[in-house]
Amino acid sequence: MIKKFDKKDEESGSGSNPFQHLEKSAVLQEARIFNETPINPRRCLHILTKIIYLLNQGEHFGTTEATEAFFAMTRLFQSNDQTLRRMCYLTIKEMANISEDVIIVTSSLTKDMTGKEDVYRGPAIRALCRITDTTMLQAIERYMKQAIVDKVPSVSSSALVSSLHMVKMSYDVVKRWVNEAQEAASSDNIMVQYHALGLLYHLRKNDRLAVSKMLNKFTKSGLKSPFAYCMLIRIASRLLEETEGGHDSPLFDFIESCLRNKHEMVVYEAASAIVHMPNCTARELAPAVSVLQLFCSSPKAALRYAAVRTLNKVAMKHPSAVTACNLDLENLITDSNRSIATLAITTLLKTGSESSVDRLMKQISSFVSEISDEFKVVVVQAISALCQKYPRKHSVMMNFLSNMLRDDGGFEYKRAIVDCIISIIEENPDSKETGLAHLCEFIEDCEHTVLATKILHLLGKEGPRTPCPSKYIRFIFNRVVLESEAVRAAAVSALAKFGAQNDDLLPSVLVLMQRCMMDSDDEVRDRATFYMNVLQQKQKALNAAYIFNGLTVSVPGLEKSLHQYTLEPSEKPFDMKTVPLATTPITEQKTEIAPVATSKLPEKLTPSRQDIYQEQLAAIPEFQGLGPLFKSSEPVQLTEAETEYVVRCIKHTFAGHMVFQFDCTNTLNDQLLQKVLVQMEPSEAYEVVQYIPAANLPYSQPGSCYSLVRLPEDDPTAVSCTFSCTMKYLVRDCDPNTGEPDDDGYDDEYVLEDLEVTVADHIQKVLKPNFGAAWDEVGDDFEKEETFALSSVRTLDEAVGNIISFLGMQPCERSDKVPENKNSHVLFLAGVFRGGHDLLVRSRLALADGVTMQVTVRSQEETAVDVILASVG
Amino acid sequence: MGLFDKLAGWLGLKKKEVNVLCLGLDNSGKTTIINQLKPSNAQTQDIVPTIGFSIEKFKTSSLSFTVFDMSGQGRYRNLWEHYYKEGQAIIFVIDSSDKLRMVVAKEELDTLLNHPDIKHRRMPILFFANKMDLREALSSVKVSQLLCLENIKDKPWHICASDAVKGEGLQEGVDWLQDQIRTMRT
Ligand SMILES: Nc1nc2c(ncn2[C@@H]2O[C@H](COP(=O)(O)OP(=O)(O)OP(=O)(O)O)[C@@H](O)[C@H]2O)c(=O)[nH]1
Ligand SMILES: [Mg+2]
Repeated sequence: MIKKFDKKDEESGSGSNPFQHLEKSAVLQEARIFNETPINPRRCLHILTKIIYLLNQGEHFGTTEATEAFFAMTRLFQSNDQTLRRMCYLTIKEMANISEDVIIVTSSLTKDMTGKEDVYRGPAIRALCRITDTTMLQAIERYMKQAIVDKVPSVSSSALVSSLHMVKMSYDVVKRWVNEAQEAASSDNIMVQYHALGLLYHLRKNDRLAVSKMLNKFTKSGLKSPFAYCMLIRIASRLLEETEGGHDSPLFDFIESCLRNKHEMVVYEAASAIVHMPNCTARELAPAVSVLQLFCSSPKAALRYAAVRTLNKVAMKHPSAVTACNLDLENLITDSNRSIATLAITTLLKTGSESSVDRLMKQISSFVSEISDEFKVVVVQAISALCQKYPRKHSVMMNFLSNMLRDDGGFEYKRAIVDCIISIIEENPDSKETGLAHLCEFIEDCEHTVLATKILHLLGKEGPRTPCPSKYIRFIFNRVVLESEAVRAAAVSALAKFGAQNDDLLPSVLVLMQRCMMDSDDEVRDRATFYMNVLQQKQKALNAAYIFNGLTVSVPGLEKSLHQYTLEPSEKPFDMKTVPLATTPITEQKTEIAPVATSKLPEKLTPSRQDIYQEQLAAIPEFQGLGPLFKSSEPVQLTEAETEYVVRCIKHTFAGHMVFQFDCTNTLNDQLLQKVLVQMEPSEAYEVVQYIPAANLPYSQPGSCYSLVRLPEDDPTAVSCTFSCTMKYLVRDCDPNTGEPDDDGYDDEYVLEDLEVTVADHIQKVLKPNFGAAWDEVGDDFEKEETFALSSVRTLDEAVGNIISFLGMQPCERSDKVPENKNSHVLFLAGVFRGGHDLLVRSRLALADGVTMQVTVRSQEETAVDVILASVG
Repeated sequence: MGLFDKLAGWLGLKKKEVNVLCLGLDNSGKTTIINQLKPSNAQTQDIVPTIGFSIEKFKTSSLSFTVFDMSGQGRYRNLWEHYYKEGQAIIFVIDSSDKLRMVVAKEELDTLLNHPDIKHRRMPILFFANKMDLREALSSVKVSQLLCLENIKDKPWHICASDAVKGEGLQEGVDWLQDQIRTMRT
């Protein structure tokens, strides 16, 4: 009935799909014929197909209409047409979560699963398990147990796989089927054995001891099914990793012994497991690599592919092992299967010497246009890795990449290239102009809005600082004339940056802005008007604040504050300083090329961790009136890992207070803790205002208590303090079996580790994309400078790392990266000090005996400057 | 298969098909009754409470029955109505030993008879006063009184005492139903 589509038609998307223009309402109308007697199986089948098609296209079915269609479908159980019945099973599964009362088919399905028709039994089990919830499971338990050990393999497999799905929902019930699963695991059928092993593993996977017993049993007794063997290998290597088992473990021996299995599948799985293991020695690796090497010259394409793909993946980790296969890989360069060839070449690129780069690149150019996008991305990734290894090769690569950019290709592919070019530009300043030129050429004809805006942003950031900024203007302005709204808006922002930094370009930029103010789109016009007004002031500070360095506040926070402001209107203008800052600064364009599968378009803005804390704390009455949450620290552990009570602390900083949130877990199943609080003794003039205890802390359910502390007002530079902490609580002993607590309790306490508050807790990271402009904007009213010797530090890298983590500030202009072979470096740090004032640090480092550091600090406020110098000194 | 059936098969004659709803409270014996009516090779030994419904088929000398055996448990009873349009006749089963729930049975019956999909149709209803073998079982006369069957004016009905486990009383009921359906059609 379902026509076999012509592949070509499918690709070109021409109208050969008979379901293409289905209307949900029309299909549901047609579904009325399910109610007619006698049933016409052929027509009903066709309509069910349409319904399933619509569901799979993501069409939304309302509950009422879905339920109606579902009940109409249940009548089709009258018919004994096999195809129709099986289509009903599929429909049931698809509609299980959108129709009401789907349990109506339970008896019909149990009848089919226990009936005489073997073709019905497996699918009926699968459908039945989809509509069964925990409460109904008991009713079918008996049938499930029987089905698991049924002698018909498809029935047994269906029952095992369905049980596996139900483990998530009703672990305790399914656990009672272990004996049946055990019996199925000794089945002669390879699929049944595999599925049984899968179920057994999932029932036990949280119990390491049980898993290891199971492995022990099966590795001794041996299995028939190669699939089951592959699974055992995976389980074993996971267990090895979790237990950090050494390679003298019997598990490793087992995996290694599988290298000699008679099934290639098993051999491959074992080899792959070994090369993926962390810290393998060359000797342990050798047998696995030689297996892969052997597979490289197998006549079976699947084996060659598997081998070379695995080698490709581990090329960076075990270069020497992979180099051993270089000869075989060379042979695969010309493999008729382009996927294999691509992987071989990119593997060689990753491990090969600098001298072979040109040859390999030439080879791959010869067929790059013939391979699929997915593999083109692999090529780009290899190039990216190569550029990091051999920076001198960047011109060859850049050339190659620009050619690739000109070819046809989908979004992922183009994005990978653009990211790679951007990363090359960032790593190699002398490639900047060529790279920007290629990107300019690319956006002249680029259909991907995301990429065009990204490149425009980059041009705005980098272009004005090149020797000849004027040449980019034309490319940018072309966008304003030719593209969609989003791109036009990005182009306007980029133009403004040129006007702000290049005085000689300003007049022409103003003329272009004027033109943009007549744009048909609101956003474009608004931006143009805004920039026009800022630029006309010709003030460096304004340019810095409003053109180069954008907003640093949290967007959800801003939305909330503005909403609050409109609810309580006041004479006072809205103060940006009351808005919480963004916790993770909008990063500079970073270029980690993510694997294709995980890379997605930017998601909807999700609230950050701090936005969530802000909300949680605001709900506690004692913390009202503290103002906006300024910063939340990473959790600090105050107990060792395996103790009776586990406590960690999150430090929340507000304008004049700190709130310490203690997340506590009670790991004793014979105790209920009540009125839990953490008493704090400060070393400095910090004042503990209030404790908010956790009322109950039952076994293994985490709970939080809080301490509210006022910061010393008379000495604002006293930013660091050590607190000794003691947890105090009432213990009520519990019966470990029933969990019933005693009526009486007794007070007890538990000493925790000391908690440090440091300067970093008072500073929030903020990224200034143009540090120089920000520096000028803040001005030198409160500038202070001092020089220090960091005698214990040996390298510039180390010094830079220490300073950043000590001050908790955001490195700008990529100054956290120290170029190789340099003996001086300048680190630029930006942040906001508690209270909302910008704080900038320029630190010149010179390597002599130790490292000497000259620190210059600027802020709009003196305290912040003093705090920094006081804490560094 | 009787000779006539074979002949009819060869000649391409098919028995008239009729859809029947089998309703009644849970545990009244609906599934057991239907099971008895099925040909012996299709019968199951193992009868469990029905969840939802199940479709069963059996034949009599002149008709081919398709029965919707519904679940009688309280929470599924409101699902019966989805199938009312389907039925051309109703078998309503009562556990005649369950005096306590006779009122519940009556209430369900009244709701059924007043349902728009049933109310104005002249469909035959066969009542089985089932489990007559049990000592405390009420007679079929008593059951029909308790259910006020005499008030049913616009539909032909009939009540039989039955023992579904042994199969007694079923044939009489089914014969009546068959006659009713035949006269209904002609
Ligand atoms: N003694 C006796 N027991 C019967 C008779 N008919 C049925 N039973 C028993 O009554 C119980 C319930 O029978 P079912 O056929 O499952 O009842 P049902 O009406 O289908 O119940 P639901 O599917 O839950 O609505 C079973 O244990 C039967 O063996 C009968 O005539 N006499
Ligand atoms: Mg039943």
